[in-house]
Amino acid sequence: MNRPDTATMPRLAGSARQPAALVPGFWAGLPVMALVLGVLAAAIGFSAGDTFTLNILGTAMLFAGLASAWNLIGGFGGQFSLGHSVFFAVGAYTTANLYLKLGVSPWLGLIPAAALSAAVAVAVSWPVFRLRGPFFAIATMALTEVALAIGNYWESVTGGTRGMSIPFRLGAANMIFRDRISYTWIMWGFMALCLLVSLWLARSRLGYYLRALRDNEQAAGAAGIDVLRAKLLGMAISAALTGVGGGLFLFSTRVTDPTSILSLFEFGVKFALIALIGGMGTVYGPLLGALLIIPLESWLRAELGGLLPGANIIVLSIVLILASLFLKRGVMGALQGLRR
Amino acid sequence: MADLLQILVVGVLLGGTYAVVSVGLNLIFGVIRVVNFAQGEFVMLGMYGTFAASVATGLDPYWAAIVVVPALFVLGALVQHLLLRHLQAEPAMQIFATFGLLLLLQNVVLAISRGTAYSVTTPVSQISVGLGPVQIGLSRLIVLIAALLVAGVLWLWLQRTMLGRAVRAVAQDRRAATLMGVDTGRVYVLTFGIGAALAGLAGCLLAPLYTLSPQIGTNFILPAFAVVVLGGLGSVGGATAGGFIVGLTESLAGYYIDPALKHAVLFAVFIAVLVIRPSGLFGQVGAEEVGLREQA
Repeated sequence: MNRPDTATMPRLAGSARQPAALVPGFWAGLPVMALVLGVLAAAIGFSAGDTFTLNILGTAMLFAGLASAWNLIGGFGGQFSLGHSVFFAVGAYTTANLYLKLGVSPWLGLIPAAALSAAVAVAVSWPVFRLRGPFFAIATMALTEVALAIGNYWESVTGGTRGMSIPFRLGAANMIFRDRISYTWIMWGFMALCLLVSLWLARSRLGYYLRALRDNEQAAGAAGIDVLRAKLLGMAISAALTGVGGGLFLFSTRVTDPTSILSLFEFGVKFALIALIGGMGTVYGPLLGALLIIPLESWLRAELGGLLPGANIIVLSIVLILASLFLKRGVMGALQGLRR
Repeated sequence: MADLLQILVVGVLLGGTYAVVSVGLNLIFGVIRVVNFAQGEFVMLGMYGTFAASVATGLDPYWAAIVVVPALFVLGALVQHLLLRHLQAEPAMQIFATFGLLLLLQNVVLAISRGTAYSVTTPVSQISVGLGPVQIGLSRLIVLIAALLVAGVLWLWLQRTMLGRAVRAVAQDRRAATLMGVDTGRVYVLTFGIGAALAGLAGCLLAPLYTLSPQIGTNFILPAFAVVVLGGLGSVGGATAGGFIVGLTESLAGYYIDPALKHAVLFAVFIAVLVIRPSGLFGQVGAEEVGLREQA
């Protein structure tokens, strides 16, 4: 995919670094990042009071963050996880249970949620990373089913099939607000975190390792990259961010059950879909994808959902199939193609 | 003792179901190296087709196979020709495309049926056969026999006929087969068609056993993938054996551990096999990596 990247891969022998001019670093990307985040913040500011727009913006930003997190291992690393909803759920249930049972503020609870999501991800990925390509995807999809069985079984943590809810106790410490705009700002913050991590990863040694092993795992191994370690590290970072997103999601909706939070289409596959539409393996692709897909989806649901059951998903699935045929490098790839 | 026998019988019957569902998936995978996420939806279409045919004609649902199987063959051939042909050697896009197909088929059926649950009735499902202390439903026994029959016929076809040889040649080495004069494009269309037709047959056989819903395909796809990976990628015998392993694991785990956790146990077994022998129990070593190997 990104052939030029392999040319700029840092040499492994010794600690000799490439000259700064050849490889753009994290700091060089910050001005653009600040501009993008600033524009989105302004969009929130302009929409103040418009609950409908704020909701869509908030959801789009949450999914921009989640798709960026998925993109770290799925896009840069080429590991097609369809099981990220599991890490999403682990994060959500950790935050909620710490709050409901021990009274830990969800703001603090997000830290163990991230850690636990990363730990679960590493534990299950270790064996699964022996598989490549589609087999990896199958195994992660199976993982979702297992998590669903465990989620429905483990009632004390998830509320079982009846689900769980967070009681409405207003307060900034409880992450429960009356107005929608606070949640939109929280999602903005989450998105900013994920984008910054993406920017860092894209320009870090680990990011180059991941792209190298995505393009050719054997060659990457032969070049001295510890392939398994790079994959596990990428997966851990990706899952930790996904877990944080899960905690934020649960506190903004305040109600969920295992079937909906582990839904393959609503979360697991949607992260990948958004990254694909926007452009996998790019820093801003997932953001672009989320800004396109989430409003489109809510518009379709409003326009078609009542007409025929499933009509909105029919349109989305056609978009998905067409994107796989004609938009392989996403909107970002198409834009780059135009510029050349 | 009677309990154990009962569990084993249930496991073997379930294994027959999984074997018949995954035989087409395994064929498509073994030859075209495409992981078809929509295979469960082909089974679902087979079920709905059976329902529609039996309502329309008033005949026993098993007769519907005459219409359903060729219809699914055409659908499968079209999917390969219009969609997957353009995505060779692009495993990532294949995942998206077949997953999109899964969602599309599921929701088209949902939109047409408006979510009404149907069931298919046949006098066969009232009959049961006694095996010692265990009673077996005849319709389940038919599935088991059909699974073994389908595997046998498919194996013979692959081994003994010219076309079957061509399919195996393409599965082994695409380029060499082309050089020997095999039209690989045609073999792909044919293989995908047969794979989908086998899913249609499975749907027809399973229709009397399940309440039909648009999402029913997803119940089959996870065990089917487990079967394919456990039994061995691209091996007809392996997939059949894998079906019985998965069926028995599920029924034993459901009885001795907890019915709610049987999928979790299944996955633990699945992971264990992956760690010890990633190519599956009966598969060719290294087969788990061919999905990514360039096959231009």
